[in-house]
Amino acid sequence: MARGGGAGGRGPQPTMDKPKREAILDLSKYTNERIRVKFTGGREGAFYKQCEIYALIYLHDTLVTGVLKGFDQLLNLVLDDVEENIQTENETTARSLGLVVLRGPTITLLSPVDGSEEIANPFLAQEA
Amino acid sequence: MLPLSLLNAAQNKPMLVELKNGETFNGHLVNCDNFMNITLREVYQTNAEGDKFWKLKECYIRGSTIKYLRVPDTLLDAVKEEQNRAREAGRSARGAHVSGPGGRGRGPPQRGGRGGVRGGPIRGGRGRGRGM
Amino acid sequence: MDSLIPFTTSGSLVDCVDRKMLVVLRDGRKLQGVLRSYDQFANLVLEDTVERIYHQDVFAERKNGLYLIRGENVVLLGEVDLDQEDDVPLRQVEWDVLYPYHRQDIADKKQRDETKAQVLFEKRGFCKEGGEGDGY
Repeated sequence: MARGGGAGGRGPQPTMDKPKREAILDLSKYTNERIRVKFTGGREGAFYKQCEIYALIYLHDTLVTGVLKGFDQLLNLVLDDVEENIQTENETTARSLGLVVLRGPTITLLSPVDGSEEIANPFLAQEA
Repeated sequence: MLPLSLLNAAQNKPMLVELKNGETFNGHLVNCDNFMNITLREVYQTNAEGDKFWKLKECYIRGSTIKYLRVPDTLLDAVKEEQNRAREAGRSARGAHVSGPGGRGRGPPQRGGRGGVRGGPIRGGRGRGRGM
Repeated sequence: MDSLIPFTTSGSLVDCVDRKMLVVLRDGRKLQGVLRSYDQFANLVLEDTVERIYHQDVFAERKNGLYLIRGENVVLLGEVDLDQEDDVPLRQVEWDVLYPYHRQDIADKKQRDETKAQVLFEKRGFCKEGGEGDGY
């Protein structure tokens, strides 16, 4: 289970801890399912021109949902019927992007839409 | 006991993960890798402001977005015991001399919470050589 | 012996293991706990962790247990002097009492930083930084 930390780390190395080379996420189970993906390097929030200087600000995360059509080891995804959720200060709008290839390294969060929902505070009951 | 070994040992244990952007995820660890990428199941997601909540069946979180993870207190002891067992097994197999397992007391949190003795025995030069 | 250890993360943190440490994170959070382990990225394992908040000369704390902190979020790691930590002239109050003040302090700081950035932007054309910036 744990790496042999003691005695110079030269104890028997339990097999469980050897570096896992395979992906920790089995994406095949999501094939043709709608998933929610958050990734970095999203849209810039504004484009300013001031004092002859252009400034791009706010590269915030982008949230999309789409139907998983394909993937590879590096977590690159092919999503169909993609909806991008654009959050501005006080409203959320959506736009359709259709068929999309999503670069794996930019993905920060991935979850299936099925079985996911916004809920009321689930911790209040425990705290009370 | 490297931090990532602790994470590895936390599989199937409940944990709280806070991302750099302040979002938190409460769930059971399914899997993790050496980049600290993790998959959780039965997740409660909370937004950074703490006023919106989602229930997710499972989710994948990229390691580089994580700020910290909170894991059960008992995990450290469990891992230590597991390690001691493995070491004992290794010792008896090699027939090396036996010294007692590094049984540090677990002090109370705030006052004198340090388990070890200050100026105690000189540690091995590598920092993590103490039965962690 | 110590002098033979090169000045690396692992070299300088050796002596901190099993000591009560103060950890300050980039978001401004202050944690105290016993450092049990670390690695080459300065990822930390902190046991019996207590989160502390401060407002003027008052503080409050909350027991949060075992932490695994990703190293890149740490701005400061320092040993707590057990002989002197009780001499600090601060008064402890309940967490729930102090928390609203703490939140207000954070909001005020954010407001100040935004105002500053806005002035610099309008007067000097400085780029406003994206993201939340640092909270510490």
